Amino acid sequence: MHIPDGFIPLWQCAIYWIIALIALGYSLKWARENLDEKNIPLLAVLSAGIFAIQAMNIPIPWGTSGHMVGAALIAIVFFSPWAAVLVLSIVLILQGLIFGDGGMTALGANIVNMGIIGGFIGFYAYKILKGIGRIPAIFIAAWASIFLAAIACAIEMSIAGTFPLVEGVIFMGLYHAVIGVIEGVITVVVILGIDSARPDLLPDWVSSRKSEVLE
Amino acid sequence: MEGLEQIDREAGKDSFMNSLDGRIKLISSMLIIIYAVYSTNLLILVIMEIYLLILISLSNVSPKYALKRIALILPFGGFIALIQPFFQPGNIIWTGPFGWLHITDYGLFFGALLLSRVTVSVTSIVFLSSSTSMQDLVASAQKLGVPHQLAMLLNLTVRYLFFFYDQLMNILNAQATRCFDIFNKKTTYKWRLRKVGETITMMFLRAFEQGETVYLSMMARGYSDNTRIYRSKVKLDIKDFAFIGITLTLIASLQLVKIFFL
Repeated sequence: MHIPDGFIPLWQCAIYWIIALIALGYSLKWARENLDEKNIPLLAVLSAGIFAIQAMNIPIPWGTSGHMVGAALIAIVFFSPWAAVLVLSIVLILQGLIFGDGGMTALGANIVNMGIIGGFIGFYAYKILKGIGRIPAIFIAAWASIFLAAIACAIEMSIAGTFPLVEGVIFMGLYHAVIGVIEGVITVVVILGIDSARPDLLPDWVSSRKSEVLE
Repeated sequence: MEGLEQIDREAGKDSFMNSLDGRIKLISSMLIIIYAVYSTNLLILVIMEIYLLILISLSNVSPKYALKRIALILPFGGFIALIQPFFQPGNIIWTGPFGWLHITDYGLFFGALLLSRVTVSVTSIVFLSSSTSMQDLVASAQKLGVPHQLAMLLNLTVRYLFFFYDQLMNILNAQATRCFDIFNKKTTYKWRLRKVGETITMMFLRAFEQGETVYLSMMARGYSDNTRIYRSKVKLDIKDFAFIGITLTLIASLQLVKIFFL
């Protein structure tokens, strides 16, 4: 899903960069207001951890391998889409600048897809659906964050003229619908693991449990 | 991430390119990438690629290593570029056996253009990261005006990349000693996926707890929201100006040649 340099014309790159910079500015503001001075060390070290998590190869049923993105995971744990925007932006900047994984001119588009769309879809899907049960809500939120980010990527490539819309949506949609299932399952496993080891890291989860107990 | 240590080792070598100021290399690489993305002429992109390969050879980087890195990054972009001749509109120059597959002249050109742009851009990043240490790259970005909060985030992330790379390797080695193979189909897929999830949980918790420890350590040393990273002022010297001058002259010359001769 990492769009390389040269696939999107410069004027379109500029639009995605502007959107990404505004979102990055807001995410820094969110971190300042909600995490106090703790935000910098915690989010920076967590970004390095997400970087390593993204490097883990995960087998996909038909023989190839994929990796986790983690936008929904971050958004659900911090109970804010801005945390996902910030962490994914840091990861994507370093992936582009050091590894050449995703272009520098296309960095704005990659942040829009994986950070903003992934984070916001992951967060709001979870928030809206948690009434049906937390596990299905986490699974659907993580799946949708990957699937819709991939659809956005296909639409951007189509606007750029590098891939036809219908074929792009079908190809990217089908592939990431499967990848999204894996992201969903792993996000559920990770959040259940955090819940058993460090439930204090899941403020939303813990506070709702308290209210359940009170009821 | 597997190449993290090698990238850092290459960036730490002594060479003319390594001795240049990080800001100059960062600006030059970005200008080359922007011009490559802007360019629609294959000859210009070939000349830029040759220029970058010369820069890499001056960086004391092993050519085999540089080419391997470029080749490893290319597959996704290469795949999209290779299928361009089959769906871009244009004059049909070849039709498949059943008449459902066509190759167009514009599609061939556009595919070659995309592949050339990606190659030049990736080579530029390989040059930059092989001749500049990661800390120097982040410091250069800060000196060029990246806000201090973002610069500190990037700085700390880069520092802990190596730590988590080691952590990941420790976990994977420990799994390997227990004969765990994520791609072994003798165990059920569901079970393997759960094990990946548990490994990621471990990584996530270690990252979170390390973040908290780092925060407390920094607090104990007087860290606050207004803390700034100290960067000593380094003046640019003649070789820095010469390098960016050559890069700018090359880009301007290529553009003039394109306007008047191509």
